[in-house]
Amino acid sequence: MNGNVANPNTQDIVIDEVFPHAPSTIWKALASGELMNRWLMAQTGFEPVQGNNFSFQTPPTDDWDGVIRCQILEIIPNERLSYSWKSGAQTSAGYVSRLDTIVTWTLTRHDAGTRLRLVHSGFVLPKNEAVFKNVNAGWSKVIPKMIAIAAEQSQM
Amino acid sequence: MSQMTSIDTVMRTLADPTRRAVFERVFHSKEISVVDLTRGSGVTQGAISQHLKTLKQAGLVTERPEGRHVYYRVQPEGLEPLVDWMDHYGAFWRERFANLKTLLKEIDP
Repeated sequence: MNGNVANPNTQDIVIDEVFPHAPSTIWKALASGELMNRWLMAQTGFEPVQGNNFSFQTPPTDDWDGVIRCQILEIIPNERLSYSWKSGAQTSAGYVSRLDTIVTWTLTRHDAGTRLRLVHSGFVLPKNEAVFKNVNAGWSKVIPKMIAIAAEQSQM
Repeated sequence: MSQMTSIDTVMRTLADPTRRAVFERVFHSKEISVVDLTRGSGVTQGAISQHLKTLKQAGLVTERPEGRHVYYRVQPEGLEPLVDWMDHYGAFWRERFANLKTLLKEIDP
């Protein structure tokens, strides 16, 4: 897959919810381009096959065309759908806000229907470690410290 | 995804090693003057001032003039775009889950 998995500095977003529908019904919504348009975002090129490339167009910024590029990494009908989710400026500098992440949907049977779990993995703060190589602690430690300083100052 | 630009700004601002070093020194001092920052930095005061100007434009530091000196301190809010990144996608997906729930009710009442 990619190196993010082994990178201890990445973080995931996890959302887990039980829906009162059969896995096959939820699967239809997750793995149909037409239905994705209705609940996720307008997509281009989605086909439910491994290796398929599709994209989402979002508002562009100065140095990013606004396109979120995805590729289906794994597709097991009614069980699991995983695609890469790449966005942000794709310039060579490496320090810009490039997102190289993976979205994984997992469906499991549940008494009340289906448990749907989303894992959006691989958020790197920052993308390029070299940016902060002189900081002993990672950003995740620096920021709370800074917030603490801010809190201290606000009490003065 | 409007936060993209501000994240870019913060990242780009801190990508320069000298500027990052300046930022770190400001971060480790409660408040510090350009003169103190220049001392032992191996860089001219003019260069330090330029970096401070860029840091200020990115919202990472604030300045406080006092007499002939200008003192700098970090502005932690400037780093919020980095923290907001995950918040942003967290909110994005929660919203999508809600959309999905509505859609599923429509197609499978």
